[in-house]
Amino acid sequence: MKDSCSSVSKLIEKYFDQEITSKERFFVEGHLQNCPACREALSSMEELRTLIKVPVEEAVRNEDFPWLWQKIERKIRLQEKLTWWQFLRSWLDASPLFKRKVWIPAVVTIGVLLFITAQIFFKEFPSYPDSSVVEYVESETHHVMVYDLEKAKVTVIWLFEGLEEESSTS
Amino acid sequence: MVIRGVGGRIINIMRRTFLIFLLILTLSLLFASLSHAQVQTRLRVFEASNVGTGIDSSLKDMGDQFKSLFSFSSYRLLKEEMHTLYPNQPVSVPVHPGRNIELTLIGQHRKVAEVRVKIKKEQTDILNTQVRLSPGRTVSIGGPKHGEGVIIIALSAQF
Repeated sequence: MKDSCSSVSKLIEKYFDQEITSKERFFVEGHLQNCPACREALSSMEELRTLIKVPVEEAVRNEDFPWLWQKIERKIRLQEKLTWWQFLRSWLDASPLFKRKVWIPAVVTIGVLLFITAQIFFKEFPSYPDSSVVEYVESETHHVMVYDLEKAKVTVIWLFEGLEEESSTS
Repeated sequence: MVIRGVGGRIINIMRRTFLIFLLILTLSLLFASLSHAQVQTRLRVFEASNVGTGIDSSLKDMGDQFKSLFSFSSYRLLKEEMHTLYPNQPVSVPVHPGRNIELTLIGQHRKVAEVRVKIKKEQTDILNTQVRLSPGRTVSIGGPKHGEGVIIIALSAQF
């Protein structure tokens, strides 16, 4: 009997999982009819399966696998040392909203604004020495003199009568 | 159900944050580009003479500045205006009977505005100059006779 039980115990798990041949099934079922200990072992396996199955099935029902898979996929991609573009794509893929094409004009607008602003900010201007306040000065009718007092921050362009009178008399 | 709820909330928060960020970025860029390309200028036209000793309150700084150069005893304000200059857009202001001053912003670099100044009488350029205005700097143009004194135009920029 003991020898029979020890040989059945190797098959009883396969029998429980329904992975057994018909010949082995015949042998196991014949033994189970006459052996309360092996029937008890089989019954314990069924109870154990019920204990595990119920909460697992409940958790599976509550789980949102597509969202979870996206999250897992993103983690896997991150571990694979993605390029910045792939990283951006994976981040944007997290929300269905980002998949829509409506973001294209928004991004283009931002790009254009950045381009315009960058031109203003990074435009190279000549560096002005503080002393040269007047770049040039010319007059068709007057003599001109420039007074520049740097300390007082005073610059005066003075027009002297002269050419106007000369031109009007000639 | 719980995970989806939390995930949905996170995505909503991310979406809102992203939209607000985009809005702020767009507005700030727009504001920066507009404010960067304009200069507020103060134009004062006044008569300086040796008749009397009165100095208008808004010309006290000019009186102090001119002390070392000229010996005028009276400064009388004729006109004071503020004008916003935009790049390459001339602004023309009458300053004296038959004479206009034309201001054009040529360029701007940090706190220095390069302004072209033209004083015109009919079709003749009485003066054509280009000056650099910086904070605290006043450029004055004077000389033509006015009444018993001379007329002076003071130009400064506010940043």
